[in-house]
Amino acid sequence: MITQQEEYSLIDKILAGDQQPYSILVDGYKSYAFTIAFKILGNRPEAEEAAQDAFIKAFRYLKTFNRTAKFSTWLYRIVFNTAISYKRKSKPAFQRIENTIVEYSDKADKQMERDDKQHYVGKAMESLNEADRLAIQLFYIKEFSLEEVAETMGQNMNTLKVRIHRARLRLGDELKKLLKEEALTL
Amino acid sequence: MKKVSVEKEEQLLRYLDGELDAQTCQSLEEEIQQSELLNTRLEELRLVQSVLVQKARLETPSKNFTQKVMSGLDRNPVASFFTPRKGLLLFFGSLIASGIALALLSAGVFDGPTAPLVLDSPLTTDWLKTPSLSIPFNGKILVNGILILNLALAFVVLDRTVLKPLFQKRASVI
Repeated sequence: MITQQEEYSLIDKILAGDQQPYSILVDGYKSYAFTIAFKILGNRPEAEEAAQDAFIKAFRYLKTFNRTAKFSTWLYRIVFNTAISYKRKSKPAFQRIENTIVEYSDKADKQMERDDKQHYVGKAMESLNEADRLAIQLFYIKEFSLEEVAETMGQNMNTLKVRIHRARLRLGDELKKLLKEEALTL
Repeated sequence: MKKVSVEKEEQLLRYLDGELDAQTCQSLEEEIQQSELLNTRLEELRLVQSVLVQKARLETPSKNFTQKVMSGLDRNPVASFFTPRKGLLLFFGSLIASGIALALLSAGVFDGPTAPLVLDSPLTTDWLKTPSLSIPFNGKILVNGILILNLALAFVVLDRTVLKPLFQKRASVI
């Protein structure tokens, strides 16, 4: 991980006209940027394009980075806004049935059970609004701090905490409902 | 049907996050053991938590991600011709043009009788001796049409170049 001082010295070099140090910043933050874009867009190729676009935008506007915040949070905000605008432009992709790979695998019971849990929680997640869903997904990624998630989403920390608590309770409710429905159909 | 209170639910979440002190933790655990309702709710929330933790990981982009970004740095951004400034200028220009046309209309410049447009050239009169071709023309109707079109265009320009980007910028902050 790059320290803040190293980051600033890289930024100084980039602003002086040397593009190459930017690759160190891209390498350092590409997974974080891609994850944010992926959580918003839910589609890998589009998320990759949005994250790359965000890095290019960040490079162009690097001189406006005033160093009062961390470079990472400034970058994540750009990624967040870029991914949101990609989401607005994109239409849901149609997946042909013949392109859907159906694999047979002899999974162990434990794996099946885990997949079931994931399936139900995933379904319950659909009931959340976009902002709640994104907040809760980013909150659980240990590499993002609560402060970073709040700044990326342009929200106050307390508001975000409330949002995450509310979303977890809602997920619990939805899960109960789904499992009840499932039990009735059996 | 009985429901767990909001305060208790909050406490359960803090319990799962490990944010409760030892004493509160112990008393809550005793409460959970005695209450089927609390126990069920805790299990639901624990399940949600465990799945979210399992799913929470950093995603890895493609191997040539950095290379693609670096090669895109020199690409010139596609600048839109209609910047908000140009859009506003065009909008006010259209309004001024419409204002002038309206002033002329109200001054009665286009109130004259319908005049035929006579396509009369020396060629047709001197050599071919064919009857002159005339088209009835009403200046007032034409100017009214242009005026309406101009105003509609002005508002489209205002919407596309100023209002839409402004609202998009605001809406990007959820």
